[in-house]
Amino acid sequence: MKEYVLLVFTSALVNNVILGRFLGLCPAMGVTTRLDAAVGMGMATTFVMTVAALAGWMVNTLLLEPFGLGYLRTITFILIIASTVQFTEMVVRKVSPSLFQLLGIYLPLITTNCAVLGVALLLVADKMSFISSVLFALGSAMGFSLVLVMFAGLRERLALMDVPRLFAGPPIGFIVVSLLALAFMGFSGMGAS
Amino acid sequence: MDKYADSATDFSAPAMVEGIAQVVKIEGEAAWLIPEQGSSCGSCASATACGSKGGGTAASRLEGRRFRIDNHTNLSVGDRIVFGVRENVLLKASFTAYAIPLAVMLLSGALAQWQYGSDLATMAATVAGLAIGLGVARAVAGRLQSRGDLAPLFLRRARPGETCNS
Repeated sequence: MKEYVLLVFTSALVNNVILGRFLGLCPAMGVTTRLDAAVGMGMATTFVMTVAALAGWMVNTLLLEPFGLGYLRTITFILIIASTVQFTEMVVRKVSPSLFQLLGIYLPLITTNCAVLGVALLLVADKMSFISSVLFALGSAMGFSLVLVMFAGLRERLALMDVPRLFAGPPIGFIVVSLLALAFMGFSGMGAS
Repeated sequence: MDKYADSATDFSAPAMVEGIAQVVKIEGEAAWLIPEQGSSCGSCASATACGSKGGGTAASRLEGRRFRIDNHTNLSVGDRIVFGVRENVLLKASFTAYAIPLAVMLLSGALAQWQYGSDLATMAATVAGLAIGLGVARAVAGRLQSRGDLAPLFLRRARPGETCNS
């Protein structure tokens, strides 16, 4: 039990996908101008990342490894992620058209989110068990969402600040995200003990 | 000092998430609308060439997000309006669509792992949990919808040239 809690904690904070592994920087800059967009994107990514990790682990363990098709892993995972996004979109539309109106806009953006592919490849490379893979993906996605929400909150404040013209917009955003990365380095080593 | 005080006063997240939509059909007391794309992606200079839009054209995707509101203000086809969705509604919708299926999926996977300790059993339980979770999400979404909690609200007519980003 303790190892699972540590796995979620370390994947969310110590090895944060955005600030530790520098994956998924495009949505981190693109959808964090508004807090509500960051929350929507974070929740959608959490769902897709976890389900894609689950599907990726199954395909890798039951199909790619037994038949020696490891060289097809990356392209297979890209296909799995795209299918998962389409599946999620169809399900949300079917579950509730109203929810689809509110949340559907974030789903296509996840297809090209390298953090989702990165997490799926990492858990295979680390030869994790099924439950560890799912928890690792969940923790990574929670860390991703946490950073999106924090960054969106900071950018909403920054929009009201008197930033010098040279730094206004993305430049000050990159400076802020690099300071956040420094802050997250403080978590380093916490999962090792 | 005053400047900072003003900034602090102004800083508050909007209680309503606003968007712009165009009326495409009038049906009795209801107006059908298609939202205009206003995300950071849609407003990007590279939007036309970007692969992030996913399958289909942007127009077909927006057509899929067609929604209706009550027409109390004599809207006609082609009118552009500003609609709003309460922020807590967006949170509620995210929670219903994503958090409920995930929670049920993880719970069933964890229970199977604890009970049987094998990857195959955990895998089967997790997939079953996901299916059950989606069913629960559908029931909750149906309840929210019947209460009108998820409905977008008409706020005002859009000014000429007004966009989501203006």
